[in-house]
Amino acid sequence: MKLTHTALVRAPRAKVWRLVTDVPAAARCVPGVAAVTPSGAGKYKGSLLVQLGPVRLVLDGDIALTSTDEAAGKASLRADAKDSRLGGTVRATMDLALTDKGEDTELRITSDVQIAGRIGEFGQPVIQRKADQLMTQFAECLARTLA
Amino acid sequence: MTYDYHEPESVPEALDLLARYGEDAHLVAGATAFTLLWRQGLLRPGHVIGLRRIAALGGITSSDGGLVIGATVTHRAIERSAEVARYCPALTRTFASVATVRVRNQATLGGNLAHADPAQDPPPMLIALGAEVVAVSQAGERAIPVEELFVDVFTTSLRPGEIIAAVRFPALTAGTRATYLKFLPQTADDYATVSVAAALRLANDGTVADVRVALGAAGPTPRRARSVEDALRGARPDEKGIADAAARVEGDIEPFDDVRGSAAYKREMARLWTVRAFTSLVAAP
Repeated sequence: MKLTHTALVRAPRAKVWRLVTDVPAAARCVPGVAAVTPSGAGKYKGSLLVQLGPVRLVLDGDIALTSTDEAAGKASLRADAKDSRLGGTVRATMDLALTDKGEDTELRITSDVQIAGRIGEFGQPVIQRKADQLMTQFAECLARTLA
Repeated sequence: MTYDYHEPESVPEALDLLARYGEDAHLVAGATAFTLLWRQGLLRPGHVIGLRRIAALGGITSSDGGLVIGATVTHRAIERSAEVARYCPALTRTFASVATVRVRNQATLGGNLAHADPAQDPPPMLIALGAEVVAVSQAGERAIPVEELFVDVFTTSLRPGEIIAAVRFPALTAGTRATYLKFLPQTADDYATVSVAAALRLANDGTVADVRVALGAAGPTPRRARSVEDALRGARPDEKGIADAAARVEGDIEPFDDVRGSAAYKREMARLWTVRAFTSLVAAP
């Protein structure tokens, strides 16, 4: 499933870049993320709690910054997580692109998400909606953090 | 993969269990939605609290022209109730249109509302009739208009520790007509592609005195179509009046693409079935 989210962050590009490439700091802006800790070589461990009505997913996994190009304003992340209680995995690659928009910065996140196991029972419309909500809150939090 | 099953016989007993087990508890009545989610492996509560033995949560009573239906009353019992038919025949037909008789014999009103699936049949009709949910907790009782119960897909505004006790329907002004239309292009027991519930009362001069309309399967929650209501109130519900009002439904809904059609298709069907709902209400004797 491919998802694209765009948000305008009211801060200059260099500041937005520093925040989004600082994985533990950026992760604090994702609602439902518990402590993200470094596990060496650009990798981090963390967990994400997602509540879908009565269903609670606890996704434990790894996230890694796989490439960065500050001059181009581009970075890529890879996340592998699983919910061991319900059974199911989520793998995502996320490409971040920052573009100057006057004094603001446009953040575009293009994600390719693969969901396997029971989590997929929800169907794409519900998952997409949840992802949209997470991304919107993430972008709002980035903007607040940098304000 | 097991859970402890509790069958309290009173509301205070159920509230105690809910307080004791918190997030590890799941409430059921008919358990139709729970069984599906459990079998899919999406719910794994440690404790399941069955509410059907609590007499105070059952029963259908009429009072002052209104109606109170207990949370554990089944869809089938509502469909067959003389009190419900006297109150509003369209409410009877709405419950009769849910899934199959096997499901209706098991699924309950409270469970239907708590599950908060946006494609279910009763919620739009309940919104069109101005019904409210009575929720009880250890803090007491509060009323929630049905349209404010739903906040997202499968998500309600119920607070932790609250149980749906009943649904209260207000007395309807004499001359109020209501209908529920469900667009089912595939099979009779499917979820609606879109559904429309409407209640209408005409003034003596033939203009619209009161109107409420709500749509199902047209967004993450059942939606009240206030723009359509505003356009119709005080207007003459002729062919043009209805068409102009129904064209505004787009602004009230937020459908998404799924196996029953694209968002654009559902927007068009929402408009068309809103026209049909009001046309049939105006034509009714």
